[in-house]
Amino acid sequence: MKPLSPIMALFWQERRSALLGGAAMMAMTLLAGIALLGLSGWFITATALAGLTSAALAFDVFIPGAGIRLLALVRTGARYGERLVTHDATLRVLAGLRERLFRGHATTEGAEALQRRPARLLFRLTSEVDALDSLYLRVLAPLTAALLVSLAVLAGLWLAAPALAWPLLVLLPLAGGLLPWWIARAALRPGRRRAAAIEALRSRAIDAAQGQVDLLMAGRTSAQAASIMAADTRLAAAEDTLNRLETRGAALLFLAGQAALVGTLLIAAPLAAQGVISAPIAALALLAAMAVLEAFAPLRRGALELGRALLAARRLAPRLREQAAPAQPLPVAPAGLALHLRHLRLRYPGARQPVLDDFSLDVGAGECVALVGESGAGKSTLLSLLSGEIVAEGGHASLASGQPRTVWMSQRTELFQDSLRGNLLLAAPRATDAELMEALEAAGLGPVVAALPDGLATQLGEGGFGLSSGQARRLMLARALLRPAPLWLLDEPTEGLDRETALALLGRLRPRLAGHGTLVVTHLRREAELADRLVLLRGGRVAAEARRGTPDYLALLEQLRPD
Amino acid sequence: MTATTPRLEARFPREMSRIRRAGLLQAVAGLLWIAQAALLARAVGGIAAEASADEALWPAIAIGALALLRAGLDALAARGAFRAARAILTGLRQAAAEALPGLSPFDRSRPASGSIASSMAEQAEALLPWLTRWHPARLRMSIVPPVILLVIAWTSWVAALALLLAAPLIPIFMALIGIKARDAADRQMSAMSGMNGFLLDRLRGLTTLRAFDAVDGTAGRLRGVAAQLRRRTMAVLRIAFLSSAVLELFAALGVAMVATFIGFHLLGQLPFGAWGARLDLAAGLFLLLLAPEFFQPLRDFAAAYHDRASGEAALAGLAPLLSAPAGAVLLPAKGQAAAPAPRTGAAGLAFRAVSFRHAGATAPVVEGFSLEIAPGEKVALLGPSGSGKSTLLALAAGLLRPDQGDIFFDDAFLDAQSIATARGRMAWLGAAPHFFAGSLQSNLLLGREQPAAGAMEGALRLASADEIVARRPGGLRSLMAEGGLGLSGGEARRVALARAALNPNAGLVLADEPTAHLDQHSAAAVTDGLLRLAQGKTLLVATHDPALAARMDRVVTL
Repeated sequence: MKPLSPIMALFWQERRSALLGGAAMMAMTLLAGIALLGLSGWFITATALAGLTSAALAFDVFIPGAGIRLLALVRTGARYGERLVTHDATLRVLAGLRERLFRGHATTEGAEALQRRPARLLFRLTSEVDALDSLYLRVLAPLTAALLVSLAVLAGLWLAAPALAWPLLVLLPLAGGLLPWWIARAALRPGRRRAAAIEALRSRAIDAAQGQVDLLMAGRTSAQAASIMAADTRLAAAEDTLNRLETRGAALLFLAGQAALVGTLLIAAPLAAQGVISAPIAALALLAAMAVLEAFAPLRRGALELGRALLAARRLAPRLREQAAPAQPLPVAPAGLALHLRHLRLRYPGARQPVLDDFSLDVGAGECVALVGESGAGKSTLLSLLSGEIVAEGGHASLASGQPRTVWMSQRTELFQDSLRGNLLLAAPRATDAELMEALEAAGLGPVVAALPDGLATQLGEGGFGLSSGQARRLMLARALLRPAPLWLLDEPTEGLDRETALALLGRLRPRLAGHGTLVVTHLRREAELADRLVLLRGGRVAAEARRGTPDYLALLEQLRPD
Repeated sequence: MTATTPRLEARFPREMSRIRRAGLLQAVAGLLWIAQAALLARAVGGIAAEASADEALWPAIAIGALALLRAGLDALAARGAFRAARAILTGLRQAAAEALPGLSPFDRSRPASGSIASSMAEQAEALLPWLTRWHPARLRMSIVPPVILLVIAWTSWVAALALLLAAPLIPIFMALIGIKARDAADRQMSAMSGMNGFLLDRLRGLTTLRAFDAVDGTAGRLRGVAAQLRRRTMAVLRIAFLSSAVLELFAALGVAMVATFIGFHLLGQLPFGAWGARLDLAAGLFLLLLAPEFFQPLRDFAAAYHDRASGEAALAGLAPLLSAPAGAVLLPAKGQAAAPAPRTGAAGLAFRAVSFRHAGATAPVVEGFSLEIAPGEKVALLGPSGSGKSTLLALAAGLLRPDQGDIFFDDAFLDAQSIATARGRMAWLGAAPHFFAGSLQSNLLLGREQPAAGAMEGALRLASADEIVARRPGGLRSLMAEGGLGLSGGEARRVALARAALNPNAGLVLADEPTAHLDQHSAAAVTDGLLRLAQGKTLLVATHDPALAARMDRVVTL
């Protein structure tokens, strides 16, 4: 249960009164139900006894009758309130959990892990968050409620006659403690297998769809289908184990309830015969004992959920514990330099050889430098270092001071499911609409946005869906323009665009480069042409360098790809 | 009843009948309570009549035995329903996995790979609760309450009337305020799961957020969006939960009415309602014990309501795969997968008056196209994007089927009989080679058996991919990162070249835009490797790279 403690702490901190209130309302619903049945049983038995004698006329029907009606209403009201309160609490917890997870992943380590296996990690995260979401509603609240109710019923039975409480005293710890605990524990291993099998099935299905052409050409489609079905077989085996557990748990819980009934009957009969309790009280005790164990019924599914939540909590614990510390800022570069790198040594996470080794480079304030070289030469890794994504192994790196210090445009289109305004405000949270429109105008998106019926409020889909690739890139440019940083980092800003669109974008970009240092990382001639100086990177070091206007500059440009 | 259920009935008649049988078993187990209730009522009657304590013993034993029987029946039903439902799930997955290769990868209306994977993996799992809970619960609801009502009516028509009055009101009220609000609630709950979408979307762009120092701001937005969603969701739930409250209210009032009537009847104040006789304590208690069980199946069914919507969504997600039109892709006829001993050496290829139109397109992309390629010839298809270069390549590989005209490979007409052999003689090089989950080696071999000694090294050297392998910790045995992450575009294509070079029988190399989006250096390396690979083979390359086209024997401009 230890892995759950950070989650519990989070829940607790988020909304303790609502959490407790929800469980209390749940207990009240259950208690009203038990009391309704118990009181009805008492009433019928008492009236039957009175009906046999002359006491029938004197029997007070008003109070029990009103009690029964009242309990019916209380049960309904409590049920309604309970559902509202528990769902509200769940939604609050869910919001807090997501925020915490986001912050946890925003740490350097979290971001790195995410970059290595994005799709798989994100998929796993979704199912784990789901497992934690249901923790309160399916496990914590019902368990608390069931314990409260059983204590209340136990107390009642004890008051009627201590012996009446015995069956429940024995059965409650079994049904309310041992059984759920056992199920949750036994569900851990098949639960883990189930999660792994679903992941395998999913990744094999993705392979089958994405690698369809390669599989068809290699005659491997049936083999891939077979490997999908092999994952399904493993999944089926894990699910079968879980289902067997659930079925067994259900049967045991049901039998515990029935045992409480039989046990109470066997104890109540002699007690009544001895006159220790009256027949109506015996009826009440029987019905209450039977009903109280039904309070534990939701726990058989809850126990399985608990297994899932334990697994999720164990995996998410590091992300929940760590919160993003502000990235260690790079030192301030000497005056007149936007970027100053000396003897830098950088390694891609998990790589054998460093991608940059003894790498030195200066970018003057107001200078534009293009870093060119073959793919995989470490250009993008360098940009990750400068934006604080990764840490250098050795050497020295410093940046001009400023707030913000860098602005970056990546080759991947990173836009968000948000309004145009929201996407732009990321770069400058306090910018006015007029400033946003100005940046859009400068990026060549002014007329496009003006023509949209919702203007800046237009919603983009996931990953910026809804814009053409050229528009998306121009929006990223507008976003960059909103940040007055001393160093601009451009990572293949026109990658994947057709020639016309790319040249139009570069035409917009060129006049904006004055006044700050720029580092362009590229293998495209059209992008390198922006630069005052070309730096060729090979084998992790600077292999050649050329200033604009020299023959070397043209020769280096010639080596780059023309389109 | 929905349109999807009959389809399951038709596809899986045995499993569906096993699920029905499970529902029946559960109903029987539920009805055993009638016997238990009678025994319990009699026992309490005995206690009230001050009978000896031993008289409670036999009812107690009988109740216990019936409890064991009920538990057994319930467990049997649960396992039976699960096994049948799981078999259906496996069957559907199998059908989807087998249909997937026949869906044309060039068809834009084909669902995205991610959504295909979701439909087959986690979404399909929602079938289980729907089949194992909702279906039996519906059956139970149609059996148990009527039987209990009959038994109650047999003893007292007034008690039956009280329940009968409460019961039909439940569906009416639930229909009035329930179903619509519930659907709205479902939509809201799915909006809440849109919160996951928000989180994932932001995590995907984490690099940008960190680069813009926008982590705090985004975390705040996340909280704000969640709070807003919560308020809207709760507004809807407030109404939606009224329906379950109504169910609860009538169930509670039903029990209360029965209890009150019996009480007054036993006191002699309401002497009617028992078919002229006077109820005794045991009979009264029996009625009281049955009353809640009358409502229980209704409540179970309401609780399983959710399962149906997600189950049907799961089935709908699989539908595009299950109802895929066959024939978009040339698949080997059954038994043709194991190709006979193939020919060796360069293969010829011929297009004769081939026309092809993409599904949904107005104009054909290829019309009356003819081309004879002699064995050993190197041909470039040159043209702007959209001119049909890639389509011709796909037609040659049987990845598309021509609307008109014939294609011959190695002098054999390309059809289901010949395609397995033909593909065994083709090496395919796409612009975006896919990397599969697994080791680098398994990605190179793609299921082919271990090559002869030195063949692997030869293939890697030919593709100049040996240094890529040497650089990776673990070499050939290193695991590929997701989607080939960590390999640059040029490296990925060199690995794909090595993969193609490992096919010893290849007589034709088909290369689709092999140098697109590469820097000059990488493009040159890939071109050289391609030409080395095509030595002694026929080569057909689709490209708009003039440098690559210039190195071919013949250029066909489209």
